[in-house]
Amino acid sequence: MKVTIRFFARFGELLGNTLNVDAREGMSVADLVKEAASGNKAGYDTIFDENGSFRDFVIVMRNKKRIRSQDAGSILVSEGDEIAVFPPVAGG
Amino acid sequence: MYLALLGVGTLIIADNDRVELTNLNRQILYREQDIGRRKAAVAKEQLQELNPDITVQALDATIDAASVFSMTENADGIVDALDDYQIRYLLNRVALENQIPLFHGGISGFFGQATTILPGKTPCLKCIVPHPPPREVFPVVGVTAGFIGMIQATEVCKYLLCRGDLLAGRLLLWDGMQGRIEEIPVENDPFCEACAGNATRNW
Ligand SMILES: [Zn+2]
Repeated sequence: MKVTIRFFARFGELLGNTLNVDAREGMSVADLVKEAASGNKAGYDTIFDENGSFRDFVIVMRNKKRIRSQDAGSILVSEGDEIAVFPPVAGG
Repeated sequence: MYLALLGVGTLIIADNDRVELTNLNRQILYREQDIGRRKAAVAKEQLQELNPDITVQALDATIDAASVFSMTENADGIVDALDDYQIRYLLNRVALENQIPLFHGGISGFFGQATTILPGKTPCLKCIVPHPPPREVFPVVGVTAGFIGMIQATEVCKYLLCRGDLLAGRLLLWDGMQGRIEEIPVENDPFCEACAGNATRNW
């Protein structure tokens, strides 16, 4: 099934801004993002910690609705989903 | 700067720093000859020169839990020009307590974000950013600071004039590298430590 992943800001620089991917049946949001990020170690490590969990500051949205990153492993993706992943920025 | 030119009656500038060379790429109130001087005082001089008809108060002080309440006592709103979330959370707390808006902005490199927090109506800063990103030395491109600052100033202007649609409940994301602006809806977090998802006030 076709799913779009959008990485914002620094994540986008490391991993590409918009990826159209073919997701497998039964894939969770976390699995999907992990797979998409797996080709770039710096990108992967910025988003995921050593246990493969989303780092706590990372904001994950599915179809414009925020999902708690700790739930991303149990929420399954569906055809046409748009998953957005981005870091809040702190400078001023 | 634009708030002064707009004629916002009283501006209170809080900064405990001195002007450094590395500030000059974005903090356009300061000149090379100001290096080493207190930022708040220089800012007051410059703003007063731009608009002698407004009142500018310079607070050469650190924003912390002890000082923040007196600093914002009679303020109609708070403009966030900080680079640290712990202090931003303090401003968020004061905004919630005093029921005044917090005009939030943040930048990193070519990226920026902004939103307007109306306590009791919109999600608070802690709802939106519950966990700050890791500390880094922010490479700051001057134009990004200017761009996000301008959005914040626009929000202040609209708020004071009661015109238009504020960036309330919407987080604006600016990607300067891609030349794209997006906005995402943000939601009250019922478990938020700061506001507990309270939405009770009509603005
Ligand atoms: Zn909150």
